[in-house]
Amino acid sequence: MMKASNKLIEFKNVHLAFDGKRVIQNLSLRINKGDKVVISGKSGSGKSSLLSLVLGFIQPDRGDVLFDGVPVDEKTVWAVRKKVAYIDQDVSLGTGTVQGLFDYVSNLKINTHSGMTLIELMKFFHLDINLFLKEIRQLSGGERQRMAIVTAILLKRNVYFLDEVTASLDKHLKKKVADYFISREDSTCIIVSHDPVWLDNSVVRVFDFEEKKWRH
Amino acid sequence: METLDIPILSLAVAFILLVIPVAISVRYGLGMIKPLFVSIVRMSVQLALIGIFLKYLFRWNNPYVNTGWITVMIMVAVFSAVRSSSIKIRSIFLPVFISFSVATLTVVFYLNTFVIPLDNVFDARYLIVLGGMLLGNSLRGNIVGISSFYKQLQTDSKHYLYVLSLGASRREALLPYLQESVQLALKPTLASMATMGIVTLPGMMTGVILGGASPEVAIKYQILIMIAIVVSTVTSVVLTILLTERVCIDKFGILRADVFRN
Repeated sequence: MMKASNKLIEFKNVHLAFDGKRVIQNLSLRINKGDKVVISGKSGSGKSSLLSLVLGFIQPDRGDVLFDGVPVDEKTVWAVRKKVAYIDQDVSLGTGTVQGLFDYVSNLKINTHSGMTLIELMKFFHLDINLFLKEIRQLSGGERQRMAIVTAILLKRNVYFLDEVTASLDKHLKKKVADYFISREDSTCIIVSHDPVWLDNSVVRVFDFEEKKWRH
Repeated sequence: METLDIPILSLAVAFILLVIPVAISVRYGLGMIKPLFVSIVRMSVQLALIGIFLKYLFRWNNPYVNTGWITVMIMVAVFSAVRSSSIKIRSIFLPVFISFSVATLTVVFYLNTFVIPLDNVFDARYLIVLGGMLLGNSLRGNIVGISSFYKQLQTDSKHYLYVLSLGASRREALLPYLQESVQLALKPTLASMATMGIVTLPGMMTGVILGGASPEVAIKYQILIMIAIVVSTVTSVVLTILLTERVCIDKFGILRADVFRN
């Protein structure tokens, strides 16, 4: 009898090169449902490419990337993107007002959200409600980052890809954000960061991207 | 009203006017004399040749020859439109060719069938001349349309990927870029239409009136041609984006690097 698999994401012998430079060589890595994984490594080492591979933004030169047991390919990738909430390093929320962003996100066929949760979440992450009417480019780096986090949470997905999401936050907020995600038992989080705030607990597993192995 | 023919020698007198831009260029060091003369010579030679060519085209008025010539015109328009973008010609020649052909020919044949009382819809005077007018405008619109669509996707790629990650379908993710590019491409046409007759007295009308037609007839043709231009420009810009997007963006929804010139 087949056992229900606990695996969520699996890299199998993955090779990846960028402009002739080897970024990933023969990587095998397994991430289970509910895991909180921090990918650590020097900036510029290509850590984020792990997330891009799962989201189908880039394709491996060799090897397979599996999501929920299914290889990520040109057909399945669209469903994968609907299961993951991704916050990219540059918090590319685009132009226009914050409200416009939320309208756009909630109008995508896949997404729905309730107004209540939005306001609660903004308060929780110390965001002024009036930000809603501002232009996105008027927001500070930290405000943009937290707006991206709020957006991601509103998507109500179980998998979070968090690429340097605490970079421009102060100490207190860093902790708040990290605690929020780490305490969500049902969520799987892949965190690309070299911020020590994520390592302050026993739940998180750390994958050393340069050594290509689990640190603990 | 008779058409006053211009004797060749008198036409030469018109060239004397060029002394003015030459003098201005010298006075202000614009360095424009060479490019000015290259353009003037090209324009004169091309028009002289096309004049002779059209004379025979009108004389023969053969449907096959006419169709062949309009195909050549479309191909040249496609080359110029693609060359002005950053995309390799061989990657998108066919989709742009289809787009230009559909947009131009549909409108021309509609006019030739339902609006202008013609016995022969392939009549060179209408097929070639109207077709050329529409192609020229489609070309202008597409130069703006294709370049802006792909340039925006490139410069905005982080945000585009973010939108894909939100779960947007291909259509949903590309729609804002399509909207912006089409609006941008159409702006000059809409602006010139809105001021037509007051600011712009269009080339076609000037030609028709100088050629001896009455202003009433010229205006009817002008209205017809402006409607045709808007329809064929919008259609060709949208079709070009929709058809090239299938080639330039892969099944993952990602812009393919290999279709761009370095």
